[in-house]
Amino acid sequence: MTQMFKGVMQSPVTPLKDDFSPDPKTFEKLLDFHVRTGATAISWPHHKGESLNLTIDERKSLAEVAVKSVAKRVPVSIHVSALSVEDSVDLAKHAQQIGADAIIAITPYFWSPSMEGIFKHYVRLGQSVDIPMIAYNSPSYLEGIEFNGELITRLLEKLPNLIALKEASFNSEKFVEISRAALKVRPDFAIVAGVEFLAPSVPLGCVGSYSSAGGISPNLCTQLFDACMKGESEKARQLQFKLAQLWDLFRDQYPSSLKGGMVIMGRPVGPTRAPLPTATPERQAFIAQQLEELGILDTEPHGW
Amino acid sequence: MNTLIPGLVHTPVTPFTDDLKIDYACLEKLLEFHLRSGAQAIATPMHVAESVSLSDVEQRAHFDFVMKQVNGRVPVLAHVSDAATGVAASRADYAQSKGARAIICTTPYYWTPPAAMVHEHFAQVAKAAKIAFYVFYTPAEMSGTKLNTDLMLQLVNSSSNFAGLIDASMDWQFMINIISNVQRTRPEFQLLSGNEYMVSAGAVGAKSMLTPMAAIAPQLIKDFFSVCRTEKYFEARKMQEDIASLYQLLKHHGFASLKAAMHIMGRDCGIARPPLDPLSPESFNRLEKSLHGLSFLNREVKGW
Repeated sequence: MTQMFKGVMQSPVTPLKDDFSPDPKTFEKLLDFHVRTGATAISWPHHKGESLNLTIDERKSLAEVAVKSVAKRVPVSIHVSALSVEDSVDLAKHAQQIGADAIIAITPYFWSPSMEGIFKHYVRLGQSVDIPMIAYNSPSYLEGIEFNGELITRLLEKLPNLIALKEASFNSEKFVEISRAALKVRPDFAIVAGVEFLAPSVPLGCVGSYSSAGGISPNLCTQLFDACMKGESEKARQLQFKLAQLWDLFRDQYPSSLKGGMVIMGRPVGPTRAPLPTATPERQAFIAQQLEELGILDTEPHGW
Repeated sequence: MNTLIPGLVHTPVTPFTDDLKIDYACLEKLLEFHLRSGAQAIATPMHVAESVSLSDVEQRAHFDFVMKQVNGRVPVLAHVSDAATGVAASRADYAQSKGARAIICTTPYYWTPPAAMVHEHFAQVAKAAKIAFYVFYTPAEMSGTKLNTDLMLQLVNSSSNFAGLIDASMDWQFMINIISNVQRTRPEFQLLSGNEYMVSAGAVGAKSMLTPMAAIAPQLIKDFFSVCRTEKYFEARKMQEDIASLYQLLKHHGFASLKAAMHIMGRDCGIARPPLDPLSPESFNRLEKSLHGLSFLNREVKGW
């Protein structure tokens, strides 16, 4: 099976109107922007898309916008993780029904389930749909709850539709263990980095990333991936360092600062829902200064 | 300015006699083995050498012996960590007087001082010796105290001999953040991989690697490091995965397994000192069987 999810994939933010309601028109423009600027796939709504701050109905409605607007130009996966597993299953079935290419799901929130509990969670989600599933490992946000080689092996033996893992441990030892185990069971299994930590992961077999900065600097993201794939280590390192500076800028109250930065880039996407703050004018001015110092304003597209 | 780039740094264990005294005759053989097997520098006594189980008097005597035996053939880096800043500083001063080329120091044992005092700890140890000073970050072993970029930048300002960071966190985000930010202030600042996960560390700028497992698979480690230093990381991936399988095997069996594995490879250095337990006969047999299953060990030398 050819890998469906690789390269620089974009997970758009969720545009909101001033009254904090969803802004589907701007969402369409944003999706189109990502596809035109090189996204190899779209995945929505990741945490960057404020998934947990949207109602289930809003998520379904905007998922339909995503699938319709992208219109098969690139694959679309829908992030179905919710506080309640019942909602996750509901979102997964909905994603399949509207024609999404895959679902993606993180380990369960809040609870600290056993490895057996995590296994059963993914089996249930994976078996609730016929479309492919991407698992999402993020131990830094869900402390202590994470994938290991044994879990991925068991899941791959059980779920033929588990085709990829978004790996966000950002750790060499963990990445290698998961990769060794997964590729032994399924050599075309795709491991994708969360955020653009590509320089350290591509040489270990990572096939792409879910971009954090794609709404700001899609050119930079693509240049980094290309340099990594070509083995241009020094170039990749310098681009990685630049993207790391951007990540430092935006990870604070993510995605509030990212949305603030998109205003500077001429692609306003509105406020951020509570409990996350919205970037203040002062914060936006700071971001503008940082983007200028990094040369982003001269090298990246402005406007839609 | 520090001009030392340690390269491939072997970290020998401390051999013990049956009555758990330092076995200097064996240490002599062991150092010669490491020097013959590709060590470009020696770092001692690291945790793998049970530094924490050696008295201060033993550490100094041990260091004297190493310096005499190595006799200038490669640089020797002295690990001086302690709970007390004064003891670590005194040990650093001593190591310098005996010809050490660099000092290595972790965060203080046991205590979890505030950031300002962690800085003070490192600054005093660095000041005690004028030679290159490396901070050793090993959060899995020293879970109480975290390092960050701000602390490293403070140390750059306070300590002209602060030469670099030895990272055993394997955390890409951490490594990238430190090296990209600190090198803007001190371009010669080095990142060293604190273990054999060199592909990712090298890809983000590490030029040196500390290796306990050179005692088991010196040829593999030498070849691997050589490929990494030419930045052919795709080529290094298979070796990285082999090394990771050995790393995980030893990790699974616990600290005492390194000496047990050395015994299996025909390089007996005794057992670990209490409070560490030696491997049970059953565990030893399992380790031996597993090691025999690692085909890449077939090309490694047995015995001294």
